[in-house]
Amino acid sequence: MTGADLAAIAGLGMTRLGKVYGRSSTSLAAEAVRLALADAGLSLGDLDGLLISGGIRQDVGVSLAGVLSTGPLGLLAQVNAFGASAGAMVAQAAQAIAAGVASTVACVFADTPLRPQRPAGAAWGAPKAGAGGAVGLAGWQLASGATNPNILYALAARRHMERYGTRSEQLAEVAVAQRAWAAGNPLATMREPLTVEQHQASRPIAEPLRLLDCCLVTNGAVAVVVTAADRAADLRQPPVHLWGYGQAHQPRRMLSGSDWGLVTPAARCGPQAMRMAGIGVDDVDVCELYDCYTYTVVVTLEDYGFCAKGEGGAFVAGGRLAPGGKLACNTGGGQLSGYYMWGMTPLSEAVVQARGQGGTRQAPRNDVILVSGNGGILEHHATLVLSPHRRRGNAA
Amino acid sequence: MSARDRAVGPVFPLVARDEASAAFFDAAARGQLLVRRCRIGGDVLAPETRTCPRCGSADLDEVVVSGRGTLVSWAVVHQAPLPSLVPAVPYISALVELAEGPWLLARLVGSDPAGPRAGAEVEVRFVPSGEPSAPPAGEVLPVFALVSAPGTGADAATRADGPMSEGEGRATS
Repeated sequence: MTGADLAAIAGLGMTRLGKVYGRSSTSLAAEAVRLALADAGLSLGDLDGLLISGGIRQDVGVSLAGVLSTGPLGLLAQVNAFGASAGAMVAQAAQAIAAGVASTVACVFADTPLRPQRPAGAAWGAPKAGAGGAVGLAGWQLASGATNPNILYALAARRHMERYGTRSEQLAEVAVAQRAWAAGNPLATMREPLTVEQHQASRPIAEPLRLLDCCLVTNGAVAVVVTAADRAADLRQPPVHLWGYGQAHQPRRMLSGSDWGLVTPAARCGPQAMRMAGIGVDDVDVCELYDCYTYTVVVTLEDYGFCAKGEGGAFVAGGRLAPGGKLACNTGGGQLSGYYMWGMTPLSEAVVQARGQGGTRQAPRNDVILVSGNGGILEHHATLVLSPHRRRGNAA
Repeated sequence: MSARDRAVGPVFPLVARDEASAAFFDAAARGQLLVRRCRIGGDVLAPETRTCPRCGSADLDEVVVSGRGTLVSWAVVHQAPLPSLVPAVPYISALVELAEGPWLLARLVGSDPAGPRAGAEVEVRFVPSGEPSAPPAGEVLPVFALVSAPGTGADAATRADGPMSEGEGRATS
């Protein structure tokens, strides 16, 4: 299939991000959609498709259409594959446009997990223990203590480290590189320089993961507008063409022989999207990879084929992903240093890079941009291949 | 368990049974680990499994297993994920592969000078949940210990106080 280039991202809308209090997720989502339409030079009357995804709070849904007072829509749905939702929404929008059921689709993510005077770490809900304690087999699992993503990803990362020799200092390289990129992103939360030593001295959360292995928590909303490539060419912003997409899902296999923690659904998803795009990893100029944890970047690079399985730790060492390195990766600081908008974090930065609007953080080349989304505990994956160019006539 | 911990709360949060888990906790009280088994192919599966991943059958019964296995992975938890686990930190959450095949998420208790490693032999132990000195006590919980770890006395069995967690727990305060 080579039809993916029929769609393009024509608009990007981002609300204030971070400690944005006093606004509902729905209110922020509506603002992001308006901003994205305005960015594209479109109006609400042009909108005939709306895809919506929530984050930790999962408190935004199809009622957003009413809040926006849209006209008639040919596509309206809530999408949830956790961190893979953004990629899934863009793919669904492209499919709807190719099928002729919609022409202009906004895809929006919104979340408001941060609360004043509550630590960010409390944003992730946990199984509720009633007044009398926890109940049943779920109570036994709660007592295992592995009840939130920090701990489950720590188990995955530890398995990778034990099997392949991946070291915490190598995970640190991911955090350090992304912090260096974040220095050039005015929207990034953490922009002060970071060293491997500072990473190693950060407090342990769930070893082997330290504080600086873990993503931020952010309130805000991000939207993109997807439309046909021909139409996008006539709009306000440089079009960002969709060359390929893919999704792969795999429930956690909890039994002998499982490769959980070592290989993720990215291993199926990445090649699928790159095949559709007619590219290989050597063609990729910029990676925007889902980074709920430093480890996720390492395992995704392996699964996409940037290096052999097990060599991700060595691959990211020596500043390879940092500004000036061989592979521009998470150029806005990602979710570790930038902002935590789930799959919209890598996607929004990919749009900025594809347009050449990255300012001091603009990657030296941007012809092919690979975007990942990872959801659940390595259970859901989405990949997009984006480019400033139309695919036909440009494929190498 | 130290006196300080008792003042804060139990190291294992109180767990109560429901109808679906009664046989599991009855077995645990007898010192047995009860899991599920596919009636079609005989695959031994984790206690919470609803569908056999190999054949797709939902026709599962229950079986007592050896309680022996190996360590797949572990995490040393310093930041409690919920209030009832605050008295327990630092503790070790482990992913264990039973000799019969299924993986379980469970606490790893006791200490071992060598520390955990992938592939290390583990075996099930049984600990009370809730505060034993303040009835009503909760159900008995299956947990795991490294086979070379010291015995199941309360001090050894309830906290991850090994040299490993202390050594890697620097700069926490």
